[in-house]
Formats: sequence, C-alpha cells, structure tokens
Amino acid sequence: MAQDVAIVGIGETPPARRSPHDVRELTLQAVLQALADAGIDPSEVDGFATEGMIVPATVPHDYMAAQLGISRHFDAGMSFAGPGIVGAPQLAAMAIRSGLARVVVSYFGVDWGSRPGGPYGFHDPYPAKMAFEKPQGFNGQPSYFALWARRYMHEYGLDPDHLGLLAVQQRENARLTGRAQMTRALTLDDYRAAPMVSDPLRFPDCCVISDGACAFVMTAADRARDCRKPPVYVRGVGFSSAPVSSEDAFTQPRDLLTMQGVREARAAAERAAGLSLADADFAQLYDCFTVSCLLQIEDLGFCAKGEAGAMIAEGHTRLDGRLPLNTHGGLLSYSYRLAAEHVIEAVRQLRGEAGAVQIPDAQMGFVTGLALPDFSLLVLSR
Amino acid sequence: MTADDRTGAAHPPEFRGFFENLRLGSLSFPHCPDCGSFHWYPMKRCPHCRGGRWSYRTVAGPGTLYSWTSVHRAFSPDFTDAVPYVVALVEFPDAPGVRLVANIPYEEVDTLRVGMAVEPCIDRDAATPTFRFRPARDRAVGESPSSRRAEHDRGHGG
Repeated sequence: MAQDVAIVGIGETPPARRSPHDVRELTLQAVLQALADAGIDPSEVDGFATEGMIVPATVPHDYMAAQLGISRHFDAGMSFAGPGIVGAPQLAAMAIRSGLARVVVSYFGVDWGSRPGGPYGFHDPYPAKMAFEKPQGFNGQPSYFALWARRYMHEYGLDPDHLGLLAVQQRENARLTGRAQMTRALTLDDYRAAPMVSDPLRFPDCCVISDGACAFVMTAADRARDCRKPPVYVRGVGFSSAPVSSEDAFTQPRDLLTMQGVREARAAAERAAGLSLADADFAQLYDCFTVSCLLQIEDLGFCAKGEAGAMIAEGHTRLDGRLPLNTHGGLLSYSYRLAAEHVIEAVRQLRGEAGAVQIPDAQMGFVTGLALPDFSLLVLSR
Repeated sequence: MTADDRTGAAHPPEFRGFFENLRLGSLSFPHCPDCGSFHWYPMKRCPHCRGGRWSYRTVAGPGTLYSWTSVHRAFSPDFTDAVPYVVALVEFPDAPGVRLVANIPYEEVDTLRVGMAVEPCIDRDAATPTFRFRPARDRAVGESPSSRRAEHDRGHGG
C-alpha cells in the first residue's frame, strides 16, 4: 500500500493488573484519548474497524457510537483476538481507500485482570474442549503452549535459558518505559528459580494479565496532514489461517510446531507494502508466551526452525540488536491487551515518541497478532 | 444428548459414540469410510472429504506419547486440589491423525519421554467413564493386557 492511509491518533489506558474502571469505561477513555491525540472530533468519525469476537461481546460498536454521537457509514469486525486487532487496519484502509469512510476508529479493551477466571474462561464455550480437555484439566493457555515447548525440546532441542533470556530482555525493556505493569527486575537466575506454571513454562514465560484498553484513529493521508502528530502509514497487512478450528489448533495439526500460513502472511504483507521485513527497524510480536514468540521468529523466516533460541541468546532481539523485539516489554511484561498495545508502541516508535526504548531513526516496523489458527501481520512506516 | 456429569454441559450428538464406547471399555475415534481418514475432535462431516458417513472406530488402546506437561497451577477451581498433575497428548498407530488429551498419574512424571509407548486404563464402571494412560508395561506398542475391543463400532447418530 502506498502512503495513503495513516494512523493519526493513539490512546491507551495505563498498563494495570486491575483497574477500578470497567471495560467500557476503559475503552471509552482510550478512544477519547486517541481522538484528542489526533485532534479529530468524534463527530468526524464515520467508521469502526475492530477485532470481531471479544469487542462485540464487551463494547459493541453501536454502544461506542452512541456514547460518542457517531453515525457509522462503515462497520467491520475481523477474525478474533490478536489477529483481529492487528488486522483491523486492513479493513479500515480498504474503507478509506474506496471512499466508504474517511475517519475510522479501532479499539480494544479487556478486563481479564479483574474478571474471575481471567482469560481462561475464554475457551469455556467450546464444546470439544469442554468434553475432551476440561475433564483432564487441560484448560489453560499455559498448558497448551507447554505441550508445544516440550515437543519443541524433542524435535529441535531447546535450552530453557533461551526462553529465560527472552523474558529477561523484555522485562528490561518494560522497566525502561517507566509505565509497564511489570517493574521488578528479572535476571536469568530469577527466571531459573521461578515456579513452574505448566512445565516447562514458568511464570516469567507467561504474559501478564491486565485491565485496559487501547484505541487508534486512521484516516486518509490528506486529512492526516492537518492532524496533531506525524502520520504513521498503514503499509500492508497479511492475514493467514489454517483449516483447523481454534478447538483443535493446539493439539491436532500434523506439524504442530510450524504455524501454517505465517510465512505466507509475511509475504502478503510485504507484497502489499512493497517493503521487506528484513529492513524492519523493530518487531512487536505476539508474545503470549516466550515459546510462541520464539516460534513466530522462526515461522516468519528470520531464522531457521530450531534456531530462534540461539538468535535470542546472541542478542539479536535486544534494543540494540538487528531485530529489536517488543520494545515496550510486550505481553510478557508491559500489559496484556492482545497486541493492541503492540500497535500503539509501533506508532510511538515511528513517531519518535518511545522515550527510553526509542529505536534511533525508526522508519518501518511490524506487529503480529496470533490466535490459532489465525494470524495477522501489520506493516507500519513513517 | 449426552450429559457430562462433571460440567453439567450437554455434548453435541457427534460426541456420543466416544463416551458410549468408553462405557464398553474402549477408546474410539471418528473414521470416514469414504476417504479412510480419522479426524479429531469429532465434527459434523469428515473434514478431509466432507463425507457424512463417518463412524466411531475402536483402537486397540496402546499409543505413543507425543508430548506432555505437568500442571502446577490450577486454571479453574475444579482443579485446585488436583495440582500437580500431568496432561499428555497420545497418538495411536491405528488412528493416524488423532491426538488424544489424557492424564497420566503424576508419580510417573519423571519416567516420561516423548515417543515412549503408553497404554490406556479405562474405568468403565465409574458414574462417568474415565480413561488415563500410563507408560506401557512392556516395550512393544500394540500389546496391552488392559485393552478391550468393543463388540462393534458405534455410529455417531448425529
């Protein structure tokens, strides 16, 4: 995509384990912040493009529109969870390009920090999980990825310290931001001593849980010129999936450790952007767990299968490495809003607003969203 | 509809045959006569060929440990007292394409190795029939004194 659609405003509630505000209040705050950041009045908004499963159940489009006095001429939801959040700019860009909308808002909020059961209730309505997984106590995301990690150890070998180093690096980034949820220092020794959640994954291998919301505003480049901040262009989105249900995706795929379609999503995003991710100045990858982040590095093609651990250990994903990863600390340490905060951080980087974790002269970066079997990759640039 | 005693949730009809065969002492999985494939978890139609004639086919029982994890933190109140416990993924030589989630007694955790032979232990007489796996007593997969074939395959009745 040419530089014709831009993110012109961002908003996020402060990263928090628990907030006294409910998800609608949090999301509203984020949207208002994003609009103020853009210098755009709500009355100018004519479209919503958001994630397609959690948002309708928590902060439906009609509610947000009514709260802000918005009449939508474009309305779209995409995929679910992370891929929906990260992929929604694709829908917004299509709408803006085709003239269906001029100013499109995307938002996402979650209250899993306060809600009993947190994110684990997310999978309860799935019949196959209820029948064939819950009775066995296989009903938490850490266990899903723990099975993967154990299998990865068998197929490729895995030094657990490599997972630990990823957690340590991202904690350092989080601490540097000065506003992340996790502020306590984490050393490799701390990681090794941390209790197991679902072996071989320890607490620091797992993302935090949060109450909070993020929002961003997109518009056409000519409108962007009159906004308050430098535009960050939506250059391309790649989306992929696999013919497997989200119930089956963690256990049944033949080649469990290669996420189908991820490489194709990268290719599609690069084609749309006319850019190569090899030139990316940073990557905000969906790090629900250390191991899922590691697998994405490989499946995206940044290294061979089995090699991501070494890549991390050699420092390539540090802020001063060749592929700075999760500059804000990611889902592991910054907050857990399913990569909505990754989009916000990417925009900050490209505006030069990232403060202590700023990648010097960041020109282009990308964000990923993962919720098996779906995957989205968003390329943004100055 | 088959009720699940533990959760109180009703299962879809295509799940029924699995539990009926479990009551008879066997593990079974959806098998399609049109394309010859198994699939799991049970779907309305065969996901490989969209055929509508699949039925539950019993397996001999013994399998291979594809992966496992030992859970140390409960994710729901039902399991607070159960931790630590082991969740395993088991494959079957006579049901390729199926990976079954199963428990293995925690006391076996230090013996577990990916690829090892495991065998089922079915409690068909419990109020809700249950199954667990354990490391196979003998090395050869395919021999299991505790496996039992059902008298006949069950349709999914869906």
